[in-house]
Amino acid sequence: MIEIQNLYKRYHGPYGGGWVLKDINLTIPDGVSVGVVGRNGAGKSTLLRLIGGMDAPDRGRVIRKGRVSWPIGLAGGFKGTMTGRQNVKFVARVHGIKKSLHQLIQEVQDFAEIGKAFDDPVNTYSSGMRARLAFGLSLAFDFDIYISDEATAVGDRAFKAKAREAFQQRVDHASLIMVSHGEGTLKQMCEAGIFIDQGQAHWFDHIGDAIEAYHQTTKVITDVADEDDEEDVPVEQLDTDSLKAKLRSLKREMNELHKQQIITNYRLETTTDEMEMASLQEEKQYLRRRYQQARKRFKVLKQHKQVSTLTTQTPRAE
Amino acid sequence: MATNTEQIPDSTRHPLRVTWDVWAAMYLREMIARTMADRMAWFWMVFEPIATIAVMIFFRAYIRGGRSITGAEFIPWMIVGLMGFYLFREAMTRPMGAVEANRGLFTYRQILPVDPVLIRCFVEGMIRSFIFLLFILIGSLLKINLIPDHAFGVMMDWTSLWMLGVGLGVLLSVASGLVPEVGRVVKIITMPLLLISGVIFPVTYVPAQYQQYLLWNPIVHGLESMRLSFFDNYHSIPGIDMTYLWFWALSTLTLGLVMHVRFASRLKAR
Repeated sequence: MIEIQNLYKRYHGPYGGGWVLKDINLTIPDGVSVGVVGRNGAGKSTLLRLIGGMDAPDRGRVIRKGRVSWPIGLAGGFKGTMTGRQNVKFVARVHGIKKSLHQLIQEVQDFAEIGKAFDDPVNTYSSGMRARLAFGLSLAFDFDIYISDEATAVGDRAFKAKAREAFQQRVDHASLIMVSHGEGTLKQMCEAGIFIDQGQAHWFDHIGDAIEAYHQTTKVITDVADEDDEEDVPVEQLDTDSLKAKLRSLKREMNELHKQQIITNYRLETTTDEMEMASLQEEKQYLRRRYQQARKRFKVLKQHKQVSTLTTQTPRAE
Repeated sequence: MATNTEQIPDSTRHPLRVTWDVWAAMYLREMIARTMADRMAWFWMVFEPIATIAVMIFFRAYIRGGRSITGAEFIPWMIVGLMGFYLFREAMTRPMGAVEANRGLFTYRQILPVDPVLIRCFVEGMIRSFIFLLFILIGSLLKINLIPDHAFGVMMDWTSLWMLGVGLGVLLSVASGLVPEVGRVVKIITMPLLLISGVIFPVTYVPAQYQQYLLWNPIVHGLESMRLSFFDNYHSIPGIDMTYLWFWALSTLTLGLVMHVRFASRLKAR
């Protein structure tokens, strides 16, 4: 259980401003997973840091009953010159683990799946490998409450699926407090919701209501709950640079979607459970639809780019 | 994923137990970082003081001339002074970067900004003591008279100098964490400190009427006291008083720790 009493928080220093969080009173019961929603800069991550004890409130207090994790997948504490194994050992020692140290290391190693690189300095890791190690490390400990700041957004698609699965297993006997903009993820993982607006936190017993309240204030109507729902700006309003960036991001999105399609197909082939089969079919359809949408948009933009480069280059040629 | 992991004894751990676990883990981490940072780190750790001392001795012996120290041989006198001074200097300057260097660790709420600072002070003292013992051993093998006449007194003075460095280091680690310019100023000041602390020039060379000002500097007390314990016949200036040094060490240490308590969240937050 986490109790937040009369909590105030502001940032100090030359760039500090007014209250980020103002007089927040909340009780998060045991075993209830909570999703935190709100605008960018509303104070979601600040609240999470305060709950995790990484930052101290200016007024009020946070009472933690039970073991609370550090934000899942945070790789900040790794020392570059030390190997993955040494870093894992360090964190385990800080948490007072002695007897089952080797078992824990083995678990992290198995989960992260980075092979021999586990004994190389963390400096040499790619960002994906770092994320895998950090995620594996967070999940190797048995916490009562996990806190997560956009956690499942690390690693490649296959790893994400694995992470999400591991996460859901955890949610059975532990709870989760997560900040995310992915409404699909929130609905999937959480029961209750906290909506943060203008320094105030509002508690909702159902995550759907919290998301609804969030949409009400931002006046954005989105019935498709989706991680990356960007609005389509008319092509004519884009300048060359943003056009290029847009093309690049679309390309990436298409690649991702393609990869996801492959994974879904593979899972379809291997699964035997009928329920899962149905949901996978649905997912496949959905992925295909999105892929086609992305491809259409890509083609339009590309055409436009060719036209615009032609028109901008001709006066220079004269 | 297997879920048969050990229960983290977090909620049942006593606060002192948590601190101890953190210190033990950080000590190992810091030691690895110091000795294994690059392939020759451990070599330079030993060779660097040898090289600097050799250069200093060369300067003093062949450029400035005049190697007569009353009651002590020149080379041992120099080594004792430099080792003592480096112990103080490293214990003071190393902790200053500790908070910044370990910022990432504050994601684990068990770790406070004071932990890396204290651990660095401790590690520095251990490493310096090890190097000093190595010097004494090698010096003795080379027939340089580096065996202290009053070993216990030397140990006390060595500890005192270390504590002086730790006190200032803890204080400056907070100060430089809050005001980054402090770090730069301290780095500028440490160079003249080498000259006014009687490390390379004996304090007895200073005219009698100015010696009282020299005694304001607590390092002089530490170094001269250590030399007095080291060499039975050594003569120093009057007024060497270890109480004065300890007054400095304990007051700065207390102030530093109090400031660490007061500004813990601000040091973390930056």
